Amino acid sequence: MTVYSIERLALIREVEDALYREAELADAHAYDEWLALWTKEVLYWVPCNNDDIDPMRQVSLIYDDRDRLEERLFRLKTKHAHSQNPRSRLIRTVSNICLQDFDAATGGTVTSRFVLGEVRLERQTEWIGRMKHVLVRDNGQFKIREKRVFLVNNDIPMGNLTFVI
Amino acid sequence: MIRYQSHSSATLSGKEIGLLYEGTRVHSRAYTDSTVYEIEMERIFSRGWLYIGHTSEVATPGDFRVRKMGRQPVIMIRGRDDAVRVFMNRCRHRGAAVCEVESGNTKFLRCWYHGWIYDTVGKLVEVTQREAYGPEFNQDAMGLTPATRVEIYRGFVFASLATTGPTLREHLGNAAAMIDLMVEASPIGELAVDAGAHKTVYRGNWKLVGMDGYHPNFVHASVIAAWQRKQDSGMGATHRDDPFDDKAASRTRDLGNGHAMLDLTAQRLAHYEVYTKFLRSVPGGPEYMEAMQKRYGEERAKLLIALAGDPHVGVFPNMQLINNQIRIMNPVAPDETEVIMFPVRLGGVSDAMNAVRIRQHESFYGPAGAGSPDDAEIFERAQRGMMAQVDGWIDLSRGLNREEREPDGSIVGRITDEVPQRGQFKRWREMVSAD
Repeated sequence: MTVYSIERLALIREVEDALYREAELADAHAYDEWLALWTKEVLYWVPCNNDDIDPMRQVSLIYDDRDRLEERLFRLKTKHAHSQNPRSRLIRTVSNICLQDFDAATGGTVTSRFVLGEVRLERQTEWIGRMKHVLVRDNGQFKIREKRVFLVNNDIPMGNLTFVI
Repeated sequence: MIRYQSHSSATLSGKEIGLLYEGTRVHSRAYTDSTVYEIEMERIFSRGWLYIGHTSEVATPGDFRVRKMGRQPVIMIRGRDDAVRVFMNRCRHRGAAVCEVESGNTKFLRCWYHGWIYDTVGKLVEVTQREAYGPEFNQDAMGLTPATRVEIYRGFVFASLATTGPTLREHLGNAAAMIDLMVEASPIGELAVDAGAHKTVYRGNWKLVGMDGYHPNFVHASVIAAWQRKQDSGMGATHRDDPFDDKAASRTRDLGNGHAMLDLTAQRLAHYEVYTKFLRSVPGGPEYMEAMQKRYGEERAKLLIALAGDPHVGVFPNMQLINNQIRIMNPVAPDETEVIMFPVRLGGVSDAMNAVRIRQHESFYGPAGAGSPDDAEIFERAQRGMMAQVDGWIDLSRGLNREEREPDGSIVGRITDEVPQRGQFKRWREMVSAD
């Protein structure tokens, strides 16, 4: 039987809250607040065709460093990102949150799963997958340095994935 | 699922369908009507040359890829004899698909309905419990059915299901030289189509994916704003100034046989210096430029480097070469189309430079790109709008007053002119009208 200390339980709650907050802001298309959750250097990666690809030799759905991520959000904030006009209505739940090699003082890796329901125009789409976050302690808060999203459907024809996944 | 298609109450003949295009306008039923779609499947996608895939996708014997010819499932496979073939993905016994995965390497293709086995050259090598068939059963004649004709141009594998008709080279015509522009972006003249694919789908007719130089400033206004913010970001590196301004040096071209392009040559050459300054900053960039000049000579190399492997051409009916990608369009229904985008890697080029090209591709294309989803969004709006068929004509006359004919027979217009649309519909009309 694993016995969790109060400190461990508090850490798990803190990490869960960090992921829930991210999910809330992404669902709300609150791009500036969402970006504020990240560290200066970032990797936001959604592989394509397979979970296990070499992004230098193969195409991803998203492979953003900070510049590319800022450009993505800049574009979404213009008035002419037609595929987000109207915006997708989003609800995601994040679960199966597991801390891996995680240190309360510095951070570490968190794996989780999500189900995301999207309604846009007259269409309802379900996005499901695994996530892997690298969180780092920064001024007391956990910030996101890396986020990988492994979509179950990353190898089939898909529509509009222009919102923040 | 809500559909955006119509059904004619009276069956239209191919000739009547051909009349939906009048030279300056086309009726929206050409995009929405299910009879039109059926005739297209029969007369365009079962008769004409279709792009299937690239030889580098099946690099070693036994490699296979599952593809479609219109609605028909096919397998492109490299046989043990090293030849690339295209077969119907269908067991000769009771019709089950023999290949259920998208790609792989195999010695045999086995139908798991009753266990029949084919080899990589399509031969039926095993019939389970063979003794139940008498001498009249000719096993040698029961191999996988090959596509009627298969021809390869510079690694691009095309197939046709018609026994007669133009050769691939005749069909490609002026477009062959545009394929060359992509192949010769490699200093060793080789493409590797091994970087995976962006698979997208939109609820609209396949003919909406065209070559249109009029739309970027509207559909892609958000991307252009982003490029103006940071010039070398994404594809902004190759799109200096405004290549899609009516007064730009860019041109539209109807190459004949339904092939059409946005000819960005003059625009790209005009910005050669600033583009190559960017290219030189990429690891392997200077070596690339040197290797290109050595292989192709100074003048040709300048053109090839400036175009960056982007002929921006549509090869009728199902392939486009745009920026760094080979694209296949699969019409699924009158109101549903798959667009599969294969970024290419240039042979003889540094990994760093190919990685930059993949990043540029991702910045604009694919389901999460800045460009393609907006295209798809607008195609879907067009499909919805075209369901209104009172005054159902679509105008395609833009630039008719100023287009010119070149000595090779191609028609040239300004970048915003509807030269490509007219070229594509001219070929479409010929094909749907032919009995």
